[in-house]
Amino acid sequence: MSFWDVTRQLADGFGITLIIFGITLVASLPLGLIITFGSMSKIPPIKWITKVFVWIIRGTPLMLQIILIFYGPGLMNWDIMLPRLTAVLVAFIINYSCYFSEIYRGGIESISKGQYEAGQVLGMTKTQIFFKIVLFQVIKRIVPPMGNEIITLVKDTSLARVIAVTELVKAAENIIAVKSILWPLFYVGAFYLLFSALLTFLLNLAEKKMNYYSG
Amino acid sequence: MKKKILSVLMGAVMCFGLCGCNGGESGSDVNGSVDNSSSDNGGASSDWNYISGKGEIIIGITQNVPMNYYGDDGELIGFETEFTKAVCEKLGVTPKFQEIEWSKKEFELNAKTIDLVWNGLTVTDERKENMLFSKSYMKNKQATVVKAENADKYPTTAEMANITIAFESGSAGENVIKADEALKNCKQVPNEAQKDALLEVKSGTADACIIDFTMAKAATAEGTDYADLKVLENIQNTDEEYAIGARLGDTETIAKIDAAIDELAAEGKLLEIAKKYNLDDALLLGA
Repeated sequence: MSFWDVTRQLADGFGITLIIFGITLVASLPLGLIITFGSMSKIPPIKWITKVFVWIIRGTPLMLQIILIFYGPGLMNWDIMLPRLTAVLVAFIINYSCYFSEIYRGGIESISKGQYEAGQVLGMTKTQIFFKIVLFQVIKRIVPPMGNEIITLVKDTSLARVIAVTELVKAAENIIAVKSILWPLFYVGAFYLLFSALLTFLLNLAEKKMNYYSG
Repeated sequence: MKKKILSVLMGAVMCFGLCGCNGGESGSDVNGSVDNSSSDNGGASSDWNYISGKGEIIIGITQNVPMNYYGDDGELIGFETEFTKAVCEKLGVTPKFQEIEWSKKEFELNAKTIDLVWNGLTVTDERKENMLFSKSYMKNKQATVVKAENADKYPTTAEMANITIAFESGSAGENVIKADEALKNCKQVPNEAQKDALLEVKSGTADACIIDFTMAKAATAEGTDYADLKVLENIQNTDEEYAIGARLGDTETIAKIDAAIDELAAEGKLLEIAKKYNLDDALLLGA
């Protein structure tokens, strides 16, 4: 099997990896904020239900969540059956939203009370204070921890293989299983490294761009 | 570790399942409610209606030579691929090949994400508790794979005592190890797949592995990275056979498949497919 044949097959797997990465990121960023509002809510039931939910999701392995979401409905004889990739996406979005929500919460709580008070003195509403003063400072502060999670997400996509979604690592394993050649397994490392190099570059760029908010 | 997580999850799901079908007289597995709905249809088993109603039958496979694998033109080929297609043609349903993780085949069946396991599946007593098998169509045996320079060290399994030995978790190879006096005392390395067991031997993290003979032969052929490994036939094999696995209770489906296999064997079609992949020596039917 030639280098190009292998590269082509791995590229197919990398396509799935990118889909999982991209959709999870785009959906989890706003969903995480909603969960943050839930866990910071002043209404106790909402606050505690959200906190317990975040505890369950963060406290169990993502692999287990993928297995449960895909096989669970069928095993319990419900009439919903998610396609494999959809099940993976649902599990990833829920999991990453919870992690993001805690990062957001840390960011929001790091903004000093004085800024809220200053906003109130100027006659701004609570919503205005949050979106016009707090939010952008929060974004600047959470870029490094978010970068951590985003790069972890790239590698976590390989968990999709537990329900036989052919992402990058699984694609390499299929080549090994059929052709009995081993180097593709190490070649996948190059794909991950290049992609995380690109993300690191973009994250650094984002950090630089927001340098003018000195908070 | 993963196995532990799985069994805990399986347990949890089973509990839910039990709560769900309070009225079920058997209440023993998740198929309970399927059987209940079938009794509404006047006693006829509905498992075949379910499959024929979909028009397609989902076949759980893994990629392995010579059973199911992608040829150079990207088409799925292999003994089992062609055998499956021939049987499905007789049954009037379209096969849909779905790659699965082998260790989760029982999950896939019970969750109805696949309808059959058909990929060189060895019949074992343990598996009979979780699956319904068709008639056996092919012999299987287990083989030991070691590095070529160690090939003379192990004329019988007795010399293999206390070495490190790799195998696929839940495979027929594991049963061989558990049943053998010498092998049972080896340091055991349960792997996710047979190909991982080969990798253990190649990298020296295990001294030997025990996997299916056909797979071992194909994987260590000239031109592969495993060409420096050697397949030993030093195991006292009990009679092992390949068959097709279905959900427990899918009796009508299995009856139809068995009839189709008999027809193919009588027509000589089964032998023809087996010859194409050099498996005719192992064939049990129509040879």
